[in-house]
Amino acid sequence: MFTGLRNLWQKLFKPPPKLVAFPEVFEHFQDLLQDHQKIMETIADLGEKSGGEYVFDRKYLLDTVNELHSLLLRLVKGLNLISGNRYLELYTTLDRIMLPLEAELRGRLSLTEEMPYVVALKDAPLDLPELVGGKAGALMEIIQRLHLPVPDGFVVTTRAYRRFLEHNQAEERIHSLLTAWISEKLDTMQISRQIKYALLAGVMPQEVAREIRREAQSRPFWAVRSSAFGEDGELSFAGLHESILQVPSAGVLEAVKKVWASLYSPQALSYRRQVGLLGEEAAMAVLCQEVIASRASGVAHSLDLEAPESDVLVIYAYPGLGRTVMEGRTNLDRFVVERRQPFSIRAKNIVKKESYRQVAPGGGEAEVTVSPEERERPALAEEDIQTLARWSRTLERYFKRPQETEWALDEKGQLWILQSRGLTSPKPVEAPDIYESCSTYTVLIRDQGAVAHAGVGAGPVFVVSSDHDLEGFPEGAVLVTRYTAPWLAPVVPKAVAIVAERGSPAGHLATIAREFRVPTLVGVENAVALLPAGQDITVDTHNRLIYQGRVAELLRYELIQSTTFEDTPEFRLLRRLLKRVAPLNLTDPQDQNFTPAGCRSVHDVIRFVHEKAVQELMDLPRFLKRFKEARVCTLVSEVPIGLKIWDLGGGIDPQAKGSQITAAQIRSLPLRALWEGVTLPGVWSTEPVAVDFKGLMSSLTRTLGEDLSAQDYLGINLAVVTETYLNLHLKLGYHYNLIDVRMDPDPHHNHIYFRFVGGVTDFTRRTRRARLLADILSRYHFKVDIKGDLVLARILHLPQEEVRRRLIALGQMVGFTRQLDMQLKSDEDVEHFLEVFVQCLEPAGDPKSTQGGKNGTEQIENPHPGR
Amino acid sequence: MAQSRLKILILDDEPIVCKRLKPSLEKQGFEVDTFTRTFEALQAVQNTKYDIIITDLKMEGMDGMRFLQEAKKIHPDSEVIVITGFATMETAKESFKKGVFDFIAKPFNLSEIQRVVMRAEAKIQGTQGKP
Repeated sequence: MFTGLRNLWQKLFKPPPKLVAFPEVFEHFQDLLQDHQKIMETIADLGEKSGGEYVFDRKYLLDTVNELHSLLLRLVKGLNLISGNRYLELYTTLDRIMLPLEAELRGRLSLTEEMPYVVALKDAPLDLPELVGGKAGALMEIIQRLHLPVPDGFVVTTRAYRRFLEHNQAEERIHSLLTAWISEKLDTMQISRQIKYALLAGVMPQEVAREIRREAQSRPFWAVRSSAFGEDGELSFAGLHESILQVPSAGVLEAVKKVWASLYSPQALSYRRQVGLLGEEAAMAVLCQEVIASRASGVAHSLDLEAPESDVLVIYAYPGLGRTVMEGRTNLDRFVVERRQPFSIRAKNIVKKESYRQVAPGGGEAEVTVSPEERERPALAEEDIQTLARWSRTLERYFKRPQETEWALDEKGQLWILQSRGLTSPKPVEAPDIYESCSTYTVLIRDQGAVAHAGVGAGPVFVVSSDHDLEGFPEGAVLVTRYTAPWLAPVVPKAVAIVAERGSPAGHLATIAREFRVPTLVGVENAVALLPAGQDITVDTHNRLIYQGRVAELLRYELIQSTTFEDTPEFRLLRRLLKRVAPLNLTDPQDQNFTPAGCRSVHDVIRFVHEKAVQELMDLPRFLKRFKEARVCTLVSEVPIGLKIWDLGGGIDPQAKGSQITAAQIRSLPLRALWEGVTLPGVWSTEPVAVDFKGLMSSLTRTLGEDLSAQDYLGINLAVVTETYLNLHLKLGYHYNLIDVRMDPDPHHNHIYFRFVGGVTDFTRRTRRARLLADILSRYHFKVDIKGDLVLARILHLPQEEVRRRLIALGQMVGFTRQLDMQLKSDEDVEHFLEVFVQCLEPAGDPKSTQGGKNGTEQIENPHPGR
Repeated sequence: MAQSRLKILILDDEPIVCKRLKPSLEKQGFEVDTFTRTFEALQAVQNTKYDIIITDLKMEGMDGMRFLQEAKKIHPDSEVIVITGFATMETAKESFKKGVFDFIAKPFNLSEIQRVVMRAEAKIQGTQGKP
């Protein structure tokens, strides 16, 4: 359909692009800005919804994606109207980005996008349990999110399984056998044997075989296991499917087929019939992992479900390979450990070990007899118990369920996680009366702030006021902070909960908190004062309550009773959609990838369109023609930069006459704020600048239209404004500065983009200056990137007042950089200017934000911890 | 708190809505039953008196509206909260001015529905308090 639309456009606009009249361009530009805003808002909205505070269904996602699509089409159309169709390629870009999104929604991704046959655990995409199965999916998250040690491996995906069926035309056959079974024409054993035979005799398609072999070559032996979707989730297929250990690399292909065939073992078939799953198409991914020749192995239960209220975790251990443990053939060492740091051991029960199994030198397993004096030695040392206890709790915190974790200790003494799944209770756990139990606890903060990520977490309060505090942040603490600055990112995975005084659920920290599933409340006034540092609190963001102490009943209730919303299909789908919508990859307009083809997300598209729309307005030859009709004024000010202001509406006092205005006549909120900073005493220069006022005035009174040459244009300092928008191009000395701002009453609309490049000095000095600017911007919580002498910074979704503060600071910085250009000669000067600047910043900036160090020197040593 | 808990029935054919609402309202001190099928919910209201009913409007099988009417017939003083998609919000408001305690547009956040339920609770306790 979109190809059709595109052709239509091409036909309609084939005639040579003529210059569109200014009033029309202006109107399109305004519309475009509005659509841009709406899309930004929708993206922020989707991000917020993924935090768990909202209840939504699949239909909401469908509607939102449809709306995004129509807005994007309009946006692209708008840019083409402004530019005389110079960006028709964007329609292809939209197709490329939107079609997979729509396919995701229909649940038919595998048909529209080539999903891989084989993926490596360490870099496979998350949130695709249908592709890799539950077991492998969990391991990927453990590796990629939690960075805990998991043996290397790969997954043969469900797509490979489907390809295998297709290649062997087995689907039909399985279907008819199953039908015969359901109508009881064949008994379970018979059909199981027949289906298994069909699968085992099947030929592995070349393209699948090639990929499996390539991965399997890397190690001599593999553990090959089933990873069925739902297997480790709500349904328990545990033990029903095949696991084959010690498979030599040449045997992996056959082993994979065996595991596939185990989908149709008599037990698996009966179980699927029992739970009513037969109607659904079975598909299985296969997990292949390096074999750990283990000295000891076992299982950790993060909570003793037999007695949840005892608040302990249990670790079982036995020497040698894990099979003995999992098959439950022997009595095992049992360690009962407290669930909290320092994980003290409450009880241990050491069994007598007669023999154990270990890896035989040439592969396979061998039975080893234990010498009499070794028989009563514990299978696990105390420090290993502590490590396992800590991991067990980390896993539980992330997966939001009590965990059953298989582990192994290798010959070198290194611990590994083999797999982890939700621990299901042997008997129904009695539901506590949660309301009653919670009501006995003291509430410290009630009904405050907005939920960035839903959940419950308890731990000691740790206040972070600068990046200096980050190193001391203990695992399992509650992060309490005034800001939601990007530099907090490194401690997010360690936090059990986050409470911030500022920030929005659409902000950067909220996004990271969601990635690591950390319960987070933002905008909680006075949190730092109200929450006692070092003392335990319990944060319940579902009900926006913060309790004093640990509300053990609530923590248990969440673990055992409550829904883990993160794992519901709706949330997984939303997260997959977000990956194609929210990331911003195109940050630098000068980058060679800043093209329609370079757009990888919806955010990229709108960033591209926005930038190009502004550029179109600035386009030199067109600009000169349009200029006659545009209202451009010159700002008369003691700061002699001859700023031209192009008002697109509401940016200048309507009473202002003629081509000159004063700062007092600026109505554009962002320009006013910026100019306030520029004109603060001491900013423009520390020395009084001798200004010949007459000369200055005469140079300013010349209007642009009269004698504007290309030369003048290049040096022009131009602000395009509306009441709430500013696009500022500054060419001061030899550097070029672009500032793009929106400051609406609704924080979701707001952004500041800052770009700074250039200078005639040598490269070292330029990069030094770039770092200096980056330091200053980081202090204002901008997300900053520097490439050589280029500084890119952005900050999103701030309330108007916060945008204003930052603009004042940027204004000061603009003046400051001019001084830099003139006076920055040595390293000492850098220090000196930073000090001067920080001092003059203090009154304008939020004093709280600059408490990081006495004079900011700590931030220079480690200016970008978040990057 | 010796006083008996208020009972809430939730009906929505999207299981996620039930799954999310139940624990959240339980923590507020309500007894909560959830249903994804209308006829099961209907059976439940015949056997039990629910103080508050939270229902979606558009569902497969029996329409949410009809369920509402049936439920109200059996227990006229049950307070009904309707959750519905944005698109049907206006029609819903028009046709249900009478008898429905409040409307909530999907998607909604938990604190939003918690507040509405608390208002319904206040109303119920207010009327019960009268002699």
